[in-house]
Formats: sequence, structure tokens, C-alpha cells
Amino acid sequence: MSKDWKKIAKASGLAIPDAQLERIAKPLEALEKEFRPLVQVLPPETEPAPSFRAHAEENA
Amino acid sequence: MRLLEAAAKLRRREVSSAELTAAAFERIGRVNPATNAVQLVMAETARARAKTADQELARGEGRGPLHGIPVAVKDLFFTKGVRTTGGSKLFANCTPDYDAAVVESLAAAGAVLVAKTGMHELAYGITSSNPHFGAIRNPWDRDRIPGGSSGGSGAALAAGMVFAALGSDTGGSIRIPASYCGVVGLKPTYGRVSRYGTMPLGFSLDHMGPMARSVRDAAATLNVIAGFDPRDETSSRRPAEDCVPDCEPSIRGLRIGMPENFYFERLDPEVDAAVRGAFRTVESLGAEVVALRVPDVAAMNTVSRIILLGEASALMEAHLDKRDQFGADVLALLDQGRLLAATDYINAQRLRRVMQRDFHALWQRVDCLMTPTTPATAPLIGETATTIGGQSEDVRLAATRLVRAINVLGLPAVSIPCGSDRRGLPIGLQIIGQAFAEALILRVAQALLPAEVPVPRL
Repeated sequence: MSKDWKKIAKASGLAIPDAQLERIAKPLEALEKEFRPLVQVLPPETEPAPSFRAHAEENA
Repeated sequence: MRLLEAAAKLRRREVSSAELTAAAFERIGRVNPATNAVQLVMAETARARAKTADQELARGEGRGPLHGIPVAVKDLFFTKGVRTTGGSKLFANCTPDYDAAVVESLAAAGAVLVAKTGMHELAYGITSSNPHFGAIRNPWDRDRIPGGSSGGSGAALAAGMVFAALGSDTGGSIRIPASYCGVVGLKPTYGRVSRYGTMPLGFSLDHMGPMARSVRDAAATLNVIAGFDPRDETSSRRPAEDCVPDCEPSIRGLRIGMPENFYFERLDPEVDAAVRGAFRTVESLGAEVVALRVPDVAAMNTVSRIILLGEASALMEAHLDKRDQFGADVLALLDQGRLLAATDYINAQRLRRVMQRDFHALWQRVDCLMTPTTPATAPLIGETATTIGGQSEDVRLAATRLVRAINVLGLPAVSIPCGSDRRGLPIGLQIIGQAFAEALILRVAQALLPAEVPVPRL
């Protein structure tokens, strides 16, 4: 299901002009389409890796 | 002339730093109007530094291979008392009161900072067609982009203005201009080079690194800027090693991975042929080529884009009411990032952990991977879509397709020239290593590219 980016922007109080929202809707939709299936199969125990962990590498 | 050759001549007093610096300014003055690679010249301080370097060298007080060598840095590295714009109108009058860690390191090594190079606005793009400071042009074909975001550093090197330059790489911004401009560009391991005093774009994806016209020159520059810095919380405490390879290094017995999936899909045929030729070369040098499947790089690219959209928009949130201060492409990306949900950013970071683990397993089988850097050579300025392998693709997504995933993983990767296409445009080859394996990938790079890259006539 496609997201309504105009409604999201308005609800978030973001002053993004309608013309810009129309322009960016397509790439956002495409990104959503690629991203959503990846999230669906994430194991629940997986914690975020906020960056490459140099210290963990050093201790490995 | 290579950096290390110039360094040897300086030590032998066959040339002075003042002469090298004057030659750099002469070259910049002559070819910069055609390329717009340099955004700001630091004539006064550079001449003073060159004079000091000559005096120190005369006293036998050598500080290493960069002592007295003219270099440049991308205009997002803070320079004390010198304007640092990040390629942005927002920071057009920003004059930092301190130097970036890497600028300090260059100064401590006696390098002569002659210029700050132009870049894509806020480092958020790959064309370096900057709406505020003008388009940077590729020295190999001035109708084409140099790549970006470190396009000025790539073009300045390709045009022979300086011996080495620094860039930053959040999704390929060192390796793409290295590929399009035909120079060497290294993105080190995350944490290997301090980010202190650089304008950030994506906190968890930003890497600082060297660019040069030879592998050994890039390695010598890395030696100077690598190392622990307590001012950068992500800086690694692992001691920096000497990364300069021998002139003719052995790669006998190294296992070099040749991806069977993703990296050789949808390439310009000339790029495909050039990189496959490099595999034959490493095999002839005694390396073992191991064909293997790599984890889902397309998924890593998606994760990278989500993370960067979130981090960049969070960073620029305070400025987004000044919409007329941004170029259209950058503003579009910043607006996209504002519309992403927090859950998407968190889940992208969770996926990053899975991908790091998956990719880590590769290093049991190979010592490094070789891939193309970009699927095609440099596009024309103003081109927004390109056709590769019969399929139309956004120029930005095509340029970053083979490089951006590596920023999610934090792994080191170097791009070196690997021939040229029928139009004479450089082709780039990428060598990816495991964490902190800079010396190894530079050794492979040197085996493939023992010579200095050519400089086009301008």
C-alpha cells in the first residue's frame, strides 16, 4: 500500500511544498518497495549496529 | 612526477619545496579555469610553509615523505582562519577557528596545503555540479562530471595540480571521482582516520581518505592521516601500520575474490572487459582467483540509503527552513529523509548488523574482493539518466551502485585506474578488504598499477 506523503508531511508539521512532495514521492515509493521486504524477515533478536564497530573488531 | 619521487628529490636538495609550491600555483592558475577543481588557493600560508620546509630540510630535519609536498584538501575539512564551505551557500562565510585532525596531521608531516578543492554541495551527491560554486569538470573530457562528492580533489589530481589530496566518502565519494578521473582513491576502514573537524553528512557512514596519482603516494598519505584520535569517538585504538607497498610487491598465494553475483551485472562492456582482464593479471602474478557469491549487496545499498537519508536530514534539520539556500537535488534528498519513519532508520541499523555478519564470513574464503568501481565511465554534465546494459538508470544510483554498500560495512576499499574506454575515459577497479586490511588491498593495487597514472593534456 502506497503511503500518502502529503498527509505524512502535514501531520509532521513539515513545510514541504506540494510540488516537491510530488517530485520526491516516486523515489520514496521505490525505496519503500525495496526496503519493506527486508524488514519483514529481520530476526526479532537482531539489535541495531549504529556504526561499524571498530572496537569489536579489535577485540575479535 | 610522483609524490614519493618529489620527496626523494627534496631530500637530495635537487628541488625545493618553494619551487614545487610555485609550480603547483602555476599549474592551478593555468588549468583551473578549465576544470574549476580548486575552490580556494592558500597562497600566503603555503609559501610560508614551503619556506619553513626548505629550512628544515636544509638542517636535515626531515618529517617524512610529505615534508615540503604541495597537497590539497576537500572544502569540508576545517582549516583554521580559512573559509570552509562544504560546497554550501549556508556555510559560504564559515571560517573555522581550528583545523580538522587530518589537516593537523598533514601540517605536522610538513605537507604544504596549497588549496581547498570544490565538491558536490554538502557532499550529498556524485556530480560535483555545484549550484553555488559552479560545475567541476573532468580533466579527461570537460563536458563530463569528475564524479563526487570529492570531485575537486579527483579533478585537481588528474589535472596535475597537486601530488595528493584528501576526500571524504559516505557512499562512494572518494572512489567514484577516483574512477571517473583516473586516479587512486582509498576509503579506509571506519575509525582508521579521524573525522574530527570535518563537516559531517552521515555520521555512521562518513570516511576520510587519501587520493593520489599512484598507489604508493596514496599509501604514504594514508600513513600520515591514520591513527587514533580521542576527539573522534569512533576512532580506532588499533595502531596504524605502514601501508606503503613495495614497488613490485608479491601477491603470490593471495586469494582474490571474483563475485559471481551483483558486481558484474549491468556493466558497460568495456568496464566488464577491463576488470576481468585485471583478474587475469593477478592470476599471472601468482594470486588465486576465487569465484564466489557475495551477500545481498542490493539490499545493503537500500539500507545505506535509508541510513544516509535519516542521518543527513537530522543533521540539516535546523537549516531546512532556508530552502533557497540549497540546490534542488540536495533539497530533494533532505526532504525525503524528513519523511522517513524513525522505525525505518532503526530497522536499517538492525539490517546493517545482519549484513556485517554475513559479509564477515567471506573473509574465511578470500583475502580481498575485486570489482568494478563504477559500472560505466564518467557521464556528461547535466545527464540525469544513463543507459547501462540496455537499461536506463538514474546517474546517481548507477554511480553509487557498486560502492555504497561498503560504507555500511565500514570496510576499506581502494579504486585504481584499470584502462580506459573507447573515448579515452578512465575505468575504475575497486579492491575491497576486511577491516584494517588497508596494507593488503594497497599491495594488490600496487601489483596491478605499479606506475603513476597519466595526466591529460589541458
